[in-house]
Amino acid sequence: MALYGMSDEDLEQMYQEVILDAARDPHGKVTLEEQDTEAETGVTLSHTHEYCIPARSHQFNPTCGDEVTVHVEVSDGSDGGPQRIERLVWDGQGCSISQASLSVMVDLVEHKTVDEAMSMASDFHRLMDSRGKGVPDANLDDTLGDAVVFQGVSRYPMRIKCALLGWEGMKASVAQALSHMDSRPTMAMQTKER
Amino acid sequence: MTDMEDFSAIRQQFPILDQRIHGHPLVYLDSAATAQKPEAVIDAESDFYRTINAGVHRGAHELAARSTVAFEEARAKVARLVHASEAEGEEEIVFTAGATASLNLLATSFGNASMGRGGAAARRFALQPGDEIVVSKAEHHSVLLPFQELAARTGATLRWFDLDDEGRIRSDTADTVITEHCKIVAITHVGNTTGAITDLAPIVSRAHEVGAIVVLDACQSVPHMRIDFHALDVDFAAWSSHKMYGPTGVGFLYGKRALLEALPPASFGGSMVELAFMDKPAQYMEPPARFEAGTQPVAQIVAAGVAADWMMGIGMDRVERHEATITEELLKLGEVEGVRILGPRSAERRIATVAFEVEGVHPHDVGQFIDAQGIAIRVGHHCAQPVHRHFGVFASNRASSAVYNTPEEARRLVEAVGGVRDFFRVK
Repeated sequence: MALYGMSDEDLEQMYQEVILDAARDPHGKVTLEEQDTEAETGVTLSHTHEYCIPARSHQFNPTCGDEVTVHVEVSDGSDGGPQRIERLVWDGQGCSISQASLSVMVDLVEHKTVDEAMSMASDFHRLMDSRGKGVPDANLDDTLGDAVVFQGVSRYPMRIKCALLGWEGMKASVAQALSHMDSRPTMAMQTKER
Repeated sequence: MTDMEDFSAIRQQFPILDQRIHGHPLVYLDSAATAQKPEAVIDAESDFYRTINAGVHRGAHELAARSTVAFEEARAKVARLVHASEAEGEEEIVFTAGATASLNLLATSFGNASMGRGGAAARRFALQPGDEIVVSKAEHHSVLLPFQELAARTGATLRWFDLDDEGRIRSDTADTVITEHCKIVAITHVGNTTGAITDLAPIVSRAHEVGAIVVLDACQSVPHMRIDFHALDVDFAAWSSHKMYGPTGVGFLYGKRALLEALPPASFGGSMVELAFMDKPAQYMEPPARFEAGTQPVAQIVAAGVAADWMMGIGMDRVERHEATITEELLKLGEVEGVRILGPRSAERRIATVAFEVEGVHPHDVGQFIDAQGIAIRVGHHCAQPVHRHFGVFASNRASSAVYNTPEEARRLVEAVGGVRDFFRVK
């Protein structure tokens, strides 16, 4: 028997190596500057590429105080290609499940198209709704990669929100970036209205 | 029989405790959230439905009479537990839907009095701009928020007691925190996070010196110690049945008889009115009925009375002595590397509720790790965010005991917590 109740299958299933490693050294975690209110529109956010629209979403779990700000930069498709998440970083604090989930999400979603990212988010949501049973899709391993290790978390209703927190932030910030694109009068616009 | 053997027999009255969780014997250390129920209470609730269920204080049939007697007997039992009767039949206990409901009832009544309801008799509860309401940073949200809202509705100012390093309410500052503008002091008897017993005497005497009403949150004291509201001299007190081995959905409001008589009602409807007219104001009943509008959860109230009787049967002094042995063990959490106790570190003037932080490991992760060994503790902010802010954390882990726990169970927790940092690879 391993130390400290480690023999317990539930605990091992929940805290798989991938999760513990990612929680200790999460990918995409940065220190984001405070936004002013104007930045809510995404206008004053810094962005890496001219053709990218940046946006942020702040997510908060009041039961445990976990919080995260997800920052995305979405290419505007002006090159004729699909809209793509060119950059995905985050700032926040929380339990190992939320931190690891954010890290794994960054690995999966960065540089993917918006459609691919949303599809993954939907798959991950289905996985987290599965009450520990997983999703009977043969190819979920392919589409979700490391994120399948969170299947064990889905058995615990109180922890599902921890795993979903970052994904919710990604979806909301991408949606915001897209809405900025839609409301632009021209490619070079910088309006303050949404 | 030794006392320890007695308590082992008491534990066997709790069927829920006799099970394994994740392959380990269940250790339930979350009684500050809700206590488990002895057979006597579980049976009382179902027996009521099997034998005497009927409306109370109405109807002329035999079951209605028996039901009414059982209902009022429950009130007398609860009153005896906390010494809240002027005389037999003069109980100063109002049944509510829970401690939160009791506190909201009071805040609403005070608000009604502030609008002139209840007439001259209720003027002592009335608030206006310039008046002050005093709480503390150790309050449960169910104390803080109703009175914060009351302040907002009436224009009164909310002030509060600060806490010391161990999270104790600074009773020594009563003379400055409670000014002559103070009308209400709402304060906890025992911190639901810190487990610290409040030094009430200086607060109560200062409050009364300036003519303020003292409202006590007794949720975490009634289940664990002998309570005498007359001796404490508080004006009102709120607590719940489910934390004292009774059913959920029932709470209690104690009020000094004269104050209950002067207090205007907060909730209106059936069973609280003597005369109702279309064109004249209604005439309300005397307390406690005045505050018990609508159909009551009678089976649960009867079972809550059985819980009170059951506690008195053991003897609250013995309960206190037994739980002190658990406090001693739980406080050894403070000797585990990387663990900080959020509350008094000595067993003096505290109960066996111990909140702690494991450095570098989020409480959710701690709770999950502990749960895998069959040990139930609470993680989160325990509905008391300001006290967590006081300690510089958002959330914590909390172990809380009851009569059915053993020192051995507390040792199991301490041992389990010792493994947390290794598991989560915190150096």
